[in-house]
Amino acid sequence: MNRLPENKAGRGRAARWTRRGVIGAGVLAGGALLIGIGIRPGNPVGRLKPLVAQGDEELVNSWVKIDTDNTVTAIVPHCEMGQGAHSVLGQMLADELDADWDLVKVMQAPADGNYVVTDTARMFVAPFTMNAADWIEPTYNGLFTQIARLADAMITGGSSSIRTTGQHQMRIAGAAARQMLVGAAADAWGVPANEIATRDSMLIHAGSGKRAPYAEFAAAAAEQPMPQTPRLKDIGEYRLMGKSKARTDIPGKVDGTAVFGIDAEIPAEHPAYAAVMRPPVPGTEVVSMDAEAAKAMPGVLQILNMGDHVAVVADSYWQAQQALAAMTVEWSEPESSIATMEDQFAAFAAALDEAGESGGNEAAAKGDARAAFAEAPRTIEAEYRVPYLAHAPMEPINCTAWVHDGKCEIWTSTQVPLMARKQAAAAIGLDAGDITIHHPMLGGAFGRRLVSEYVAMAARVAKATGYPVKMIWSREEDTQKSMYRPADMIRFKGGLDADGRLVSYDSIFTQRHDPAEACVPAGYAIPNVSVRVAEAPLHLPFQAWRSVDHSQHGFFTESFIDEAAHAAGIDPLDYRLAMLADAPRHKAVLERLRQVSGWDTPAGEGKGRGVAMVESFGSIVAEVAEVDMTGGKPRATKVWAVADPGYAMNPDGFRNQIEGGIVFGLTAALYGELELEGGRVKQSNFHDYRMLRMNECPDIEVALINSGPVPIGGAGEPGVPPIAPAFTNAIFAATGKRVRDLPVARQFA
Amino acid sequence: MIRRIAPTLLAASLLPGCGSEEEPPVEQIVVREPGAQAMPAEAASGANGDLVAAGKAAFAACAACHSVEAGAPSGIGPNLHAVVGREAGSLAGFGYSDAMEAANFAWDEARLTAFLGDPNGVVPGTSMVAGAVSDPERRAAIVAYLTTLSD
Repeated sequence: MNRLPENKAGRGRAARWTRRGVIGAGVLAGGALLIGIGIRPGNPVGRLKPLVAQGDEELVNSWVKIDTDNTVTAIVPHCEMGQGAHSVLGQMLADELDADWDLVKVMQAPADGNYVVTDTARMFVAPFTMNAADWIEPTYNGLFTQIARLADAMITGGSSSIRTTGQHQMRIAGAAARQMLVGAAADAWGVPANEIATRDSMLIHAGSGKRAPYAEFAAAAAEQPMPQTPRLKDIGEYRLMGKSKARTDIPGKVDGTAVFGIDAEIPAEHPAYAAVMRPPVPGTEVVSMDAEAAKAMPGVLQILNMGDHVAVVADSYWQAQQALAAMTVEWSEPESSIATMEDQFAAFAAALDEAGESGGNEAAAKGDARAAFAEAPRTIEAEYRVPYLAHAPMEPINCTAWVHDGKCEIWTSTQVPLMARKQAAAAIGLDAGDITIHHPMLGGAFGRRLVSEYVAMAARVAKATGYPVKMIWSREEDTQKSMYRPADMIRFKGGLDADGRLVSYDSIFTQRHDPAEACVPAGYAIPNVSVRVAEAPLHLPFQAWRSVDHSQHGFFTESFIDEAAHAAGIDPLDYRLAMLADAPRHKAVLERLRQVSGWDTPAGEGKGRGVAMVESFGSIVAEVAEVDMTGGKPRATKVWAVADPGYAMNPDGFRNQIEGGIVFGLTAALYGELELEGGRVKQSNFHDYRMLRMNECPDIEVALINSGPVPIGGAGEPGVPPIAPAFTNAIFAATGKRVRDLPVARQFA
Repeated sequence: MIRRIAPTLLAASLLPGCGSEEEPPVEQIVVREPGAQAMPAEAASGANGDLVAAGKAAFAACAACHSVEAGAPSGIGPNLHAVVGREAGSLAGFGYSDAMEAANFAWDEARLTAFLGDPNGVVPGTSMVAGAVSDPERRAAIVAYLTTLSD
């Protein structure tokens, strides 16, 4: 009965927390190691050890463990969803620890309050404390750890893992562990600590010729003082950071041993699967259901009206899905009067009309934009629109849950395991502490798995049945009844001086979420700026979508800047450079891009090039797209990108994320669109919500600039925002047609 | 020059769980238990009332631990062939809990019905920690089926 998911770890390099770890803790008696150090005030290791240690391993601190065979395991609090963070976080810890990379494993930290990502929370809440002085650091760390715990902030999002947890937690953990190992060896050998060198997981004292593997002092290291702010390496001392080390998660993904949420084995002799049907229009509820036909269908175990959804539980997922399709469900009347995208855009337009020339809420202001318009010899205006977009992660939304004996076990793919736990607890009337979340790798998320409604649903259904249930959403369910990148409309006005320079800038739009600065053009010196928001109702619910507000504002702003350049009769790249006199990093990125893209050479017959630059999540990324119009429809044939993240911890991994962002953003720009019919989403699956295909994918070249030890930037999202405007600006260059309404394919149908 | 707005990612999580009221089903139609044989539609809906057949079907859940064929080896729980009339804790070779060993009664329909409803209440300390049947109709059906299991 109690068959738990088989741990596939060990076959690949990535280990993961399993139930076996808990059982293994029983034989660990005697190996007492307690270290919390600067990463965590207090001393949680004793409690965590049973959760993460196996066999004879010794925990050095919350983030690293050392086995008797000298294997170092980095315990990382972020999830692996294809972005490669697991591996790079391990690389950062291992570098500070002077560990032998061939003996390093990476393990997913369990969903436990001790693994909240303090610094990610800190960056969101109080970025100004990120580089505090040593004397105040422990105070800040304690404060933000408390905040993060209250918020259940075990989050993977915001392109933040490397620059927050990596820089401020994994590296400190590695450096502290190293210092403690050195201290233990110094005591044992009777030599000064500063005479002991470390390299490839070995402690070396040149004077006496003594050498020992880390494992030999792992237990003794626990008795050493805990350094709160250990010295971190300077760039010149890096051995692993800045190197394109092979990712630890790839072999398992190639040979099929990698475990994703949907791979959870149902802990039951007779597995049960649930298919679900959610309201076709957001906010509506089940009025009645007719289950007569479904009841008699093969494999059906239970049919549940959960109020906000209907679930069919059956012996197989296919049978559950077939029976669900045979049901008739009546839903309540929607409250929203928006039935079509015309209605939605009319609602946006009404809000913008009402705000007029100066209304709405001010999001950013500099100088006096309205006065400057009056003096500008020339003004230009434009209105842009973007549609709703789905996240469409390849791994369908799923969750396996088992409620028994006042406890609940959950297996799922999530970006927020502790928040998922809290939501499930509320939904089934348990304490969060009674819920165990197993969260293996994610088959894509893009923000979709920052919400946990599917986890709560699975817990409720499993509680009602009393046996374990694996709930899987159909592709149609996720495409039509999820949460989305919002549609929006923006109106711009620009004032140009006699030389065509942009001296005044005004924009107004209706949807504002994160990051706050996404709606403001970054880097450009524009003397008078006014950015306003006029709130308007949104028919489909919002959810952060890879790069969040930057996804639409990158397109909006960089298209409008392009319009200004063409209005001024100035080369769009030169036009941007002229506004970057006080932004040397931005300027360097564009100059490099000019070089690598051959910007000043002719694009060729029927072709055009467009440029765009967006700073997001701490990284500056500029892209040039080349479009071929000779087939009558725009085809992106080549994309050049230059990115300055400050420092790329794993250059190949960083390039991989920029390339992925370009493909993701180009897919959306070319095809991405959800339409409404009677308030319901019309598109349903990949046939009408298209992805870019292999033969449509441009050749992509990415160049990196490590501009120095500034706070480093993210990788997962910053590649996305510039591609849509680079693409549409290229279409303008080739055809003279300005695309102000996405997706592009609709404009060339 | 930027007016900050509360970061939605964290702000949302600081709020109490949306509708932190427990949300049970509005309507729950149980067709059968996992592992149970599919029954004719009328038996499944209880209209026919063939108690032994319904019990046999429902027993499929119990069969994960209990065998019923004469002479078949016990599983996690003891073989239940001819259990009615048998002394509690008396099947040779099965490792009972101390509590069941000490029990001093023979299984009859009433005992089985009570035990099936609340194993630990009837024999405190029993190792049968799973399999309690809370639905009285299902319980009666299973006991009716058990009474048929003799030579």
